[in-house]
Amino acid sequence: MIKLNKNVVVAGIGAVSLLVSLSLVGCSTTAGVETTGKMSWDDQGARTLEKKVVFNNSSLSGDIQIVDVKSAMAGDIMRAQATLRSKDKDTLPFQYRFDWFDANGIEINSGGGAWKPLLLTGRESKTVQSVAPDPRAKEFLLKIREAE
Amino acid sequence: MKNSMKVLLAAVALGAASLSGCASTIQYGDAGSAKPISAEFGSSDLQQIAEAMVDSMITFPPMVELTASRRPVVSVDKVKNKTMQHIDTESVTDSIRTKLIRSGKFRFIDRTTDAQTIEEIKTQQDSGLVDKKSAVNFGQQVGAEFLLTANFSEIRQKAGSTTDVYYKFTMSIKNLKTGILEWSDEKEIRKVFKRGTFGG
Repeated sequence: MIKLNKNVVVAGIGAVSLLVSLSLVGCSTTAGVETTGKMSWDDQGARTLEKKVVFNNSSLSGDIQIVDVKSAMAGDIMRAQATLRSKDKDTLPFQYRFDWFDANGIEINSGGGAWKPLLLTGRESKTVQSVAPDPRAKEFLLKIREAE
Repeated sequence: MKNSMKVLLAAVALGAASLSGCASTIQYGDAGSAKPISAEFGSSDLQQIAEAMVDSMITFPPMVELTASRRPVVSVDKVKNKTMQHIDTESVTDSIRTKLIRSGKFRFIDRTTDAQTIEEIKTQQDSGLVDKKSAVNFGQQVGAEFLLTANFSEIRQKAGSTTDVYYKFTMSIKNLKTGILEWSDEKEIRKVFKRGTFGG
């Protein structure tokens, strides 16, 4: 009887250490979802926005949906907004960041942006916004990933 | 007994294997990481505040109008830190000032380097080393039109193993001539820390 109890305890330790090792494997974060918006002008001089959404992570594409992407001008500075919707019924933590590019596709303030936390409750829609760092910006890239 | 020893050994080996990957290492981290380490004020909080303030200020319609044809001169006041933490608030205003300068919308005067400025102008005027034609005279600097002021406060609540910290950063821009606040905005951050059963 005592022997059996010991075995159970030992098996418990084994399970815990296995769990610990598994949880350590999950240290890396993936790039997740990427959305780009490029501003240009058509023949009539109207402002147009070219949009593209790329899912690099299939599990994230099951969690989050990009409903729409918009842009507007504040004076000569470009603003961007994306509407995101959670497909999950639980609250999920994400991170997002916007990178900005000039008319030639050169990144402005390369590597200078910061990830920002985003908490989506079950099936919630939320907008994320960003303002271009300066008037040169004509294109943006929105990246979304699972929280670290 | 022997069997249980084997299982114990296996468990220890597994535990050791899982720990071996986490021996002391040093590596570069992402300066823009948003991973919270504690409920204390962190780098991501600073970045979020700076970005929120600058984005709000340069897109506020009266500010867009004001900066459409000229770049107003602004001075930065010290942040009133009402939190219970030692925070380098100058670092926060430095980030905000840098972003505003880089937007090309505002120009700044820096009162923190006045002593060095006076020293330099004195040398140019009095040392006899500098050509009088190119020497800078006193009393020619531009006065600021606006003053950027800020308040930083926190509300900290603790219940059992949970610590909830709410931060609020309020910033305003004041017209020094009229005393009118031309723009103001605030950024709120909430951090919740739950102490684990085995946590230190």
